[in-house]
Amino acid sequence: MIKIKDLMASIEDKQILNGINLNINPGEVHVIMGRNGSGKSTLANVIAGNEAYEVEKGSILMNNENITEMSIENRALNGIFLCFQYPVAIPGVSMAYFLRSALNAHLEHQGKEEIDALEFLKNSKKILNELGLDDSFLKRAINDGFSGGEKKKSEILQLLSINPKLAVLDETDSGLDVDALRTVAKGVNKFKNKNNAVLIITHYQRLLNYIKPDIVHLMIDGKIVKTGDMSLVEKVENDGYSWLEK
Amino acid sequence: MIKNFKNNCSKKFLEKGYPSRQDENWKFTSSRKLAKFENEVNFDLKADNIENDDNTLLFINGVLDENSLDKFNYKDKLKVINIEELKNDVIFKFSDNFLNESLFNLGIMHYKKGYYFKFDKNVFINEPVRIVNYNNASQDQSRIVSFKIFHVQSGSEISFIEKDINDGKSSFNLKLNKFLCDENSVLKCGKFFEGKENNHLLSYNYFTLKNNSILNIDGLNKESVFNKEFIEIDLEDKGSEVKINILNLGKSNNHLDNNILINHNAESCTSFQHVRNILDNESSAVFNGKVIVSEGAQKTDSNQSNKNLLLSETSNAYSNPQLEIYADDVSCGHGSTTGALNEESIFYLRARGINKSEAEKILIKAFAKEVVDEFSLSSIQDISEIALDNWINEQN
Repeated sequence: MIKIKDLMASIEDKQILNGINLNINPGEVHVIMGRNGSGKSTLANVIAGNEAYEVEKGSILMNNENITEMSIENRALNGIFLCFQYPVAIPGVSMAYFLRSALNAHLEHQGKEEIDALEFLKNSKKILNELGLDDSFLKRAINDGFSGGEKKKSEILQLLSINPKLAVLDETDSGLDVDALRTVAKGVNKFKNKNNAVLIITHYQRLLNYIKPDIVHLMIDGKIVKTGDMSLVEKVENDGYSWLEK
Repeated sequence: MIKNFKNNCSKKFLEKGYPSRQDENWKFTSSRKLAKFENEVNFDLKADNIENDDNTLLFINGVLDENSLDKFNYKDKLKVINIEELKNDVIFKFSDNFLNESLFNLGIMHYKKGYYFKFDKNVFINEPVRIVNYNNASQDQSRIVSFKIFHVQSGSEISFIEKDINDGKSSFNLKLNKFLCDENSVLKCGKFFEGKENNHLLSYNYFTLKNNSILNIDGLNKESVFNKEFIEIDLEDKGSEVKINILNLGKSNNHLDNNILINHNAESCTSFQHVRNILDNESSAVFNGKVIVSEGAQKTDSNQSNKNLLLSETSNAYSNPQLEIYADDVSCGHGSTTGALNEESIFYLRARGINKSEAEKILIKAFAKEVVDEFSLSSIQDISEIALDNWINEQN
């Protein structure tokens, strides 16, 4: 589904990614773990097309199409979805307006008609209910005054509504209590199927107790240095990352 | 007597002339252009093409259209008196600040007809009264002066929506307004100004509030090449409330200036002022906001906020929020921000498939809506929403 080849990227002349190679197939759940500052979130942002980052070298292919130079919105329309680590608050724009605009942008891209208001409400309310959120959530301004848990649930609401091909979860588990973590994980598990893929970026094992990854990557200094299965997660939990540098 | 008042004002203007950049209130707004507008306008025009329903008071080049008054729904609840006939000086007494304003004096010197609208006590007018200023200068560089005093007596609740229609040649519209709000009255003033290339607008608005009165001012100013508005409010007795929400939309070389002074002269009054400017191209805006809490005005609750959104590198906002507090048991806050659209917010919206131009429009509207949603008059809210959408869609 997504092939990242020898990707190097920087921000404000500071090199962060130093040759990332990653291949995610449909139906797979990948995890990237690494210390703070190892470049995990940069990778998530570069995949989503954040223009604050400069791609110096390498390429990103999505379903065999080179998207390295593609605009942020076109990447989204082609199936990439970034669950933000720190979703930004936008006072004055309701969740309903935002979500419907996003859905309609996707429908237009697919050559389909805009979603009917009633159908939109029906679908959204169903997802809200599953996430334990009140219907009035749609009337609130985007992430404005949301608790940490509500912000992450809002991301999952968007994920389930838009139903992309690749979900990149950038530390979606940070700042969540156990109940919220379970709800978020339930949402991600509901999303994943054999036709889409998930890339989880995390520091901790706790989210992975609920979402089972197929492949685990460990990242140091902007490079994936080790790839393996769930046993790598346990090794990191017990020994940290220093053994990788020996 | 008004005659003495007029003479004093004339004398003051002739002494001081047009304000310069040295005048604190004119530091960022040049009055130079206004000095060219000296031509008189025609006062006996008809305005048959103007929508003039039975809820409208129509002014043509500053003069009240008698027909509009004849068919005015609430004329039985209202006395209209020519200012020249007023015996009580208090009615046309303005603040010292205005009297020191050169161009206020110019207005008093040159107004053709002034009106005192006195609404009865305990009048409730549900539908807002439309004040339509139809300006039709037949020659360029004309000066149009209007002078109106509205008196909302005790127990009354009245709403006004003021709108300017500029149909003629280039003009300098100078408006002098006073609003007297008696005890337990409610006054809601909605102002919607959509300028034209050749219209310069300067208005002086003085409000006095008695016990437990409520004043709301909603304003949307759009596309004015020159629009400077003075608002001064005296909270004279306890328990009064003021809410001001103003949105200014500037593009090309528009210049929008709000000069607001709220005097808390009595205890337990609240005031809230919120002015937002959205500026594109070479447009500029000025916010001079001041709250003075006098010694006896304990339990004052006041908040003042000015936010400026700059859509171009060549737009400018000058913000000067000020507080002067002489009482010790008050809650007062003020703040000002100026900046461009938030890149993180744009990224967030685009990451959901919304294109860049649409994302920017959503954020501009969100910034504006935070003021528009606070408007007290739903009709001004509706007009503003449409005007806002049009303005945003016209932007590049």
